Amino acid sequence: MKKDLARVFFLCAVTLLTTGCWDYTEIELRDFVVGAGVDAVEPKVIVITEMAKSTGTGQEAEFRPVVLTTEARSLTSGAHNLANPSGMEIFWAHAQVFLVSEEVAQGGMLTILEPIIRARDLRSTMYLLVAKDCTVEEVFKSKPPLLTGVSQHLTSIIRLSAISADFVPQQLWQFTGDLAAPGISATLPAVELVHEGGNLMPVVRGAAVFKLDRMIGWLSKEETQILALLKGESEGGFFVMDTEIKGNTTAITYEFRGSQLKTKPIVDGERVEMKVSLSLQLGVAGTRGADVDFSDPAVVRGVEEQVARYFTRRIRDFLRLIQEDYNSDILGFGRLLWRREPATWRKIESDWDAVFRGLPVDVEVDCRIAFTGFRAQPIKMRN
Amino acid sequence: MFFWKRAKGEQPKTRDLDRLSTSLETNLKWLRSNLFADDDTIVYRRFKTKEPTRQCVLIHANNMTKHEFLSDYIVRPLMISSLPRELHGQRLIQHITEQVIQSDGATVFSSYEKLAEGVVAGAGAVLVEGCNLGISVDAQGWEKRSVTEPQTESVVRGPRQGFTEDLGVNVSLVRRKILSPELKVRMMDVGLQTRTKVAIMYVEGIAPKELVDEVFQRIERIETDAILESGYIEEFIRDSPNCPFPTIGHTERPDRVAGKILEGRVAVLVDGTPFALTMPFLFVEAFQANEDYFHHWMVASFHRTLRYISFFLTTSTPGLYLALVTHHPQLIPMSLSISIAAARKNVPFPAMVEVIAMGLVFEILREGGVRLPKPVGQAISIVGAIVLGEAAVGASLVSAPMIIVVGVTGVAGFVVSKLNDTAVLIRILLVFTSAVLGLYGFLFGIMGIMVQLASMESFGIPYLSSLTSLTIQGSKDTVIRLPWWRMVLRPRHLAPKNRERLHRQSRSKTK
Repeated sequence: MKKDLARVFFLCAVTLLTTGCWDYTEIELRDFVVGAGVDAVEPKVIVITEMAKSTGTGQEAEFRPVVLTTEARSLTSGAHNLANPSGMEIFWAHAQVFLVSEEVAQGGMLTILEPIIRARDLRSTMYLLVAKDCTVEEVFKSKPPLLTGVSQHLTSIIRLSAISADFVPQQLWQFTGDLAAPGISATLPAVELVHEGGNLMPVVRGAAVFKLDRMIGWLSKEETQILALLKGESEGGFFVMDTEIKGNTTAITYEFRGSQLKTKPIVDGERVEMKVSLSLQLGVAGTRGADVDFSDPAVVRGVEEQVARYFTRRIRDFLRLIQEDYNSDILGFGRLLWRREPATWRKIESDWDAVFRGLPVDVEVDCRIAFTGFRAQPIKMRN
Repeated sequence: MFFWKRAKGEQPKTRDLDRLSTSLETNLKWLRSNLFADDDTIVYRRFKTKEPTRQCVLIHANNMTKHEFLSDYIVRPLMISSLPRELHGQRLIQHITEQVIQSDGATVFSSYEKLAEGVVAGAGAVLVEGCNLGISVDAQGWEKRSVTEPQTESVVRGPRQGFTEDLGVNVSLVRRKILSPELKVRMMDVGLQTRTKVAIMYVEGIAPKELVDEVFQRIERIETDAILESGYIEEFIRDSPNCPFPTIGHTERPDRVAGKILEGRVAVLVDGTPFALTMPFLFVEAFQANEDYFHHWMVASFHRTLRYISFFLTTSTPGLYLALVTHHPQLIPMSLSISIAAARKNVPFPAMVEVIAMGLVFEILREGGVRLPKPVGQAISIVGAIVLGEAAVGASLVSAPMIIVVGVTGVAGFVVSKLNDTAVLIRILLVFTSAVLGLYGFLFGIMGIMVQLASMESFGIPYLSSLTSLTIQGSKDTVIRLPWWRMVLRPRHLAPKNRERLHRQSRSKTK
């Protein structure tokens, strides 16, 4: 009995004395940050947060997004200053999106990201986005049509990335990983404001191109589709292409139903070349009622060839843009060399920017119409 | 009474009064004034035999005996027989026992103590003038409850028999299930005052001899004056008496007892209670129901899994809720944590007080309902569910999520009825550790309980055995139950010497 008591006492003592995390806080005394962003760094950091405040209790409880803005010398102190207007303990672990303005992105992301990565209660699965042609505050104060709160709206759009190729989502850990890894540059999806029923509504499309931690330019929605394809992250989405069939030109809508990407470095002595082979599986989503018979193998073959040519052209354009205009290796060709041909990479690593600018890339696109919907033949009207 | 006096330390004057006198009147006088003084239920029936007339007395306790039996088979034969004049003393008594009394159970006694023992246990004692010996005839007969389905262990499918308060009936119920001479029943008397009859049942050749001896020794060592229920014995002989986890099983069902002793356990049946004890009792048994063995093995395995999950829920839900809400809201999905925050907004008490108070209210309601007559008990549960739950949320005294937590805890507790009371204590422990240290404290509490369980034994067998078994044969009847034709061997710890349960011939037939 005495032994038991001693054991219990020992357990209690160990539990209480060897730990330092007494963190008991009532849940209703916390304010949940669901999204945050930074508009400016110099001269003062402007921190914008969106919080989910509840109004009413029990079954009548509703969430109202509240946007609070503070200015401070640093991001951390700015975040702490929020406790004053909020009146509650600020709880960051539920923050899902983090936005930066174009100006902040151009000035360098590291000043902003360093305290975020250091903080113990922020998640590295937060989505990073760049506000295009507007400030972060404007984004957070815009009105998404259905969902309550901009952060929730943005998160649900990002979750759709599997079926939309308009953007490539990036989480905090992916972005910082790309900053540190050799031979790759980072991109972030862009947020724009569009008019919708008299209100401004945020949409995610396009991408911001980075070189190290500084943003150097934008990619349009169409260019981002190619980016997603060449990063192997495109699983869905539609595109319209003017297709010539039996002498007639028809705008046909195609659907991505899958793609296989093979990127391979070819080293021949001093000469380095990349070989990109892309194999597309497409579905036909609509022909605007045109007289196209997909049960005819010749038609299908013709369409496949045209789509392959079309994508080869778009990929060449895209490569020219990133190699010559931006000179930023956002596809990670360098990283591929580092992995597959480490000896060659060591030789050209210090001179990679110049090598990348003139790197010959052999593009090969193969296309297959895998699915034509529930009809292969056109719908014929009676004469 | 005799025993009272002995218990008080007043020893009877043994030397001259312990033995019966040859004088019938002296004996009766002594009985009336000493042994059965102030006891109006003792009947002294005087009668005479035929020529040559001899005075006889039949002594028995009213309502403990079958009156017709006493009249037909003891009094009448004696009255109509003529005892040979030349027979005296021991030979006379022998003649009466062998040729007059028509009963299968008759013993000769020579002391007052034996006479009293027989009479209070429902025997009829015959004294004859001129003899210093008496005859005790078994004539027990009292009101018994009939064999009905037990209230605490009802089944959907399975036998509807339950033990009664009568030991003889109970032993026969088990015996009828195991028609083998290997089934052994050994009787003991326990309790200085109550002299309660205890039957120890086991199957020879399956139950290890050491286990049977150990049970015997432990029961023999009991020195108490009363055994009114098998729980008394359980508490005297169990291992780890200070731990709330049961180390001895109890059941009201003969089929359960039969099943247990066929696996090599020992059962202890106690007169006066329908609850039999089985030992050793392992942790896995708390999650087994006899119906598991009557249903399809997949269904049974599913039910068992449910019981384990329910045990986790009933012990851990309040602690986990508290840990997550007060220490780690980041582990709750965002929308849920916001809605919990909204629900708790106007509640004046900290979450910890809320959890403890609601847990207490639930236990009060349960305890209030258990022992009340059924109609009143229902009223209590209605008051509990509607008035306290609904009104408390309406008045913002507790939050709605808390009601769900208490509800889940309570309902899950009823699934594992054998550990329900133990679960309450574990729950309280985990609530405290979680409130202080969050999930860290919760895990600390779980680890403490696991250490305790792993260090426990029941009659020399590790308490967690077969649950922690790494062999396939050892795990066949634990969280899952495999079909009977797969359970070739008996549990290794319980029946180490005679392990084969399924004979080779029938095994090959099933394949």
